[in-house]
Amino acid sequence: MPDDHESDEVRDVPPHATLRLERKHPLAIRWMHWINFPVLFIMILSGIRTYWNTTDNAHLYPHAVYRIGVGSFTLTRLFPASVWKALDIPWHVTQGLGDHFFFMWIFAINGIAYVAFLGLSGEWRFLVPRRESLKEAVQVILSFFYLRRKLATQKKYNGAQRIAYTSVIAMGAGSLITGLAIYKPTQAHYLTTLLGGYEWARWEHFWLTMGFCAFFLVHVIQVVIAGWNNFRGMVSGFEIRPASEPSLDVERKSWR
Amino acid sequence: MSDSENKPQADDIDAENAKVLAASRKHTRRSFAFAALAAVAACGAYRWAVYSPADGMQPLPRRRAFQMNAELSRAIFDERALAPTYPITHAERPRVNGRVGLKQDLLPDSWRLQLVGVENEKSFPQYAPDVTAWEYAYQPSVRKDDPDSAQDAMSKSNATGNEPHRERAGKSVRGLEEAGPSLSTLAVGTPGLLLSLTDILRLPKYELVTQFKCIEGWSQIIHWAGVRMADFIEAYPPARKPDGAFPRYVYMETPNGDYYVGYDLEVCRHPQTLLVTEMAGEPLTQIHGAPLRLHAPTKYGYKQIKRIGVIAYTDMKPDDYWTKLGYDWYAGL
Repeated sequence: MPDDHESDEVRDVPPHATLRLERKHPLAIRWMHWINFPVLFIMILSGIRTYWNTTDNAHLYPHAVYRIGVGSFTLTRLFPASVWKALDIPWHVTQGLGDHFFFMWIFAINGIAYVAFLGLSGEWRFLVPRRESLKEAVQVILSFFYLRRKLATQKKYNGAQRIAYTSVIAMGAGSLITGLAIYKPTQAHYLTTLLGGYEWARWEHFWLTMGFCAFFLVHVIQVVIAGWNNFRGMVSGFEIRPASEPSLDVERKSWR
Repeated sequence: MSDSENKPQADDIDAENAKVLAASRKHTRRSFAFAALAAVAACGAYRWAVYSPADGMQPLPRRRAFQMNAELSRAIFDERALAPTYPITHAERPRVNGRVGLKQDLLPDSWRLQLVGVENEKSFPQYAPDVTAWEYAYQPSVRKDDPDSAQDAMSKSNATGNEPHRERAGKSVRGLEEAGPSLSTLAVGTPGLLLSLTDILRLPKYELVTQFKCIEGWSQIIHWAGVRMADFIEAYPPARKPDGAFPRYVYMETPNGDYYVGYDLEVCRHPQTLLVTEMAGEPLTQIHGAPLRLHAPTKYGYKQIKRIGVIAYTDMKPDDYWTKLGYDWYAGL
C-alpha cells in the first residue's frame, strides 16, 4: 500500500517519504492548553452574563462604556437585545459573578504556570516572534488567500503563529491586570488609575475579551484547515512528519 | 533507475512507515481515551458545583469562593486603602436606582435612628427601653412618578384620607420585598438609643467626591456630604465583648425592614465611610434615602443603604438583602 500515509491521517506529508514521530507539544503544554479552553469559555460567558446587568435599563441610561461610535455619533451599543436573547444571557447575573470569581483563579494559575513552563523549558524559543516573523506573517496570510505560493514548512510555528500565540498570552495577562483593576478599584486604585480609571479598565477588559473571541474563531478555522495530524498533536503530543525535516527534539537538545 | 530497482526500497520505507503509524495510533488511542475521561470528569465537577445545595441562591462552591476571596482581600488589603477623590467639578447628577425599602415617602420629622449595642447605653439621654416602639409616619398620597405606586396603594389601603400612615418599627409587616424578611431584624423590646438628625449633625461635617460603583456595571462620580461613620462610632461606641474586643459586625436596616445590609465594623470605621445627608450639594431626596444614607467607597452600591432606620453593633454575621439573592456578602472594592 504505497500511498497509505497519504490518507487523511498525514495528508500534509509528501508521499513515499520516510516518516517519524515528532514530539511536538510537551505534556504540560497540552494540559494547560486544554484546561484553558473550557475555563476561558466560562470566563467569557460569565463575564457577558455579569455585563448584561448594565443594559438592564438601557432605555433610561444608555451604556457609555461599550458604545461603538465617534464623537456624538453612536453606531451601536453592545449588545443589541436580539443578541442577548439569542445567547440566553439575561437574568443570569449571579451565576455570572459566581463563576467569574471562582474560575478567575484557575485561569490565572493556569496562565502563569503556562508562561513559567515556556520560560523554564525553553519552549518560548518556538513561540516568541523573531526579527523575520512579521514579514513571514504577511507571506503566510497572502498564501492563505492564494495570493502567493505556499511557504516552505516552518519549524514549530510560522511567523503568523508566533505573533498570534504570543499576543494571546499578552492578552491573557492584560485580562488579569484589567480584571484586577475592576475587581479592586479602591484597594488597587493605583493600578486602576494607571489603566485610565475604572471605566477605561472595563472598556479594556471587554475589548480584550472580544479579542479572545476573534482569536478563537481564526484559531479554530486554521486548525480545521491544518488537518488531523496537526490537531492530534495537541492531544497525543506527536505529529507524523517526514524524517527529512529538522527535528524539534534535536533543537530542544541544542538549548541545553 | 528502473521500476524493479526502486520497488524493494519503497517497500522497506513503507514497512518502516507502517511501524511509525502504528506507534502513532497507540499514542493517539491512549491520549484520546484519557482526554475523554478528563472531559467527563470536568463536566461532572462543574455540574456538581452548579447543582450543589445553595446558600442565598448561590450553590455552595460558588458561595465559598466568594467567602474565600473576601478573606483573601481582607488579608491582603487590610481595608485601609483610600479611594481616589475627584475635583467637585467632575461630580455628576446622581442616578436613581433601586427603590427597595423606599416605596413610601417618609415624613422627615418622624425619623429617628434606632441604634443598638452601644456601650453604656443607659447613660445616654436618647436611651429608650424599646427602640422598636418608635412610630415612623409616611406620606398619605401615592407618588405619581413611581411605577410601583399601584402596589403601594394596595398596601396602604388601611391608611385613611390624608392622615399620614403610621407604622411601629417593630410591629409592622416587614421584609415585603424579593429577599423576604431579615433574620437580623430587631426583636420587639430591644433597648437602645433613638437618635434624631440633630444628634447626628452635631458631628463634624465631611464632604467627599468619590466614584460610586454599582454591581450592575455603571459608575458615577458623586459629591457626598455628611458625617464620618468613624466619628459616629467614636461618639456612640459599641459595647465591648467580655474579652474586651469590639463586636465584629454592623447591621443596618430601612425603617420598614424591607432592605437590610451587614458590614464589618472595620469597613464602617474606614475614614471615607460616610453617613450621608447631602448629595450633589443638596439635601438628600427621598429616593436617594433621606434623611440618612450610607456611602462606602470600599463597597459596591448595594451595600450603601438608603434611608437608614436601624444601626446595630453585633457579633453575629448580619443578614443581608442582596446576599440572599445570590450576591457576595463582602462586596469589597
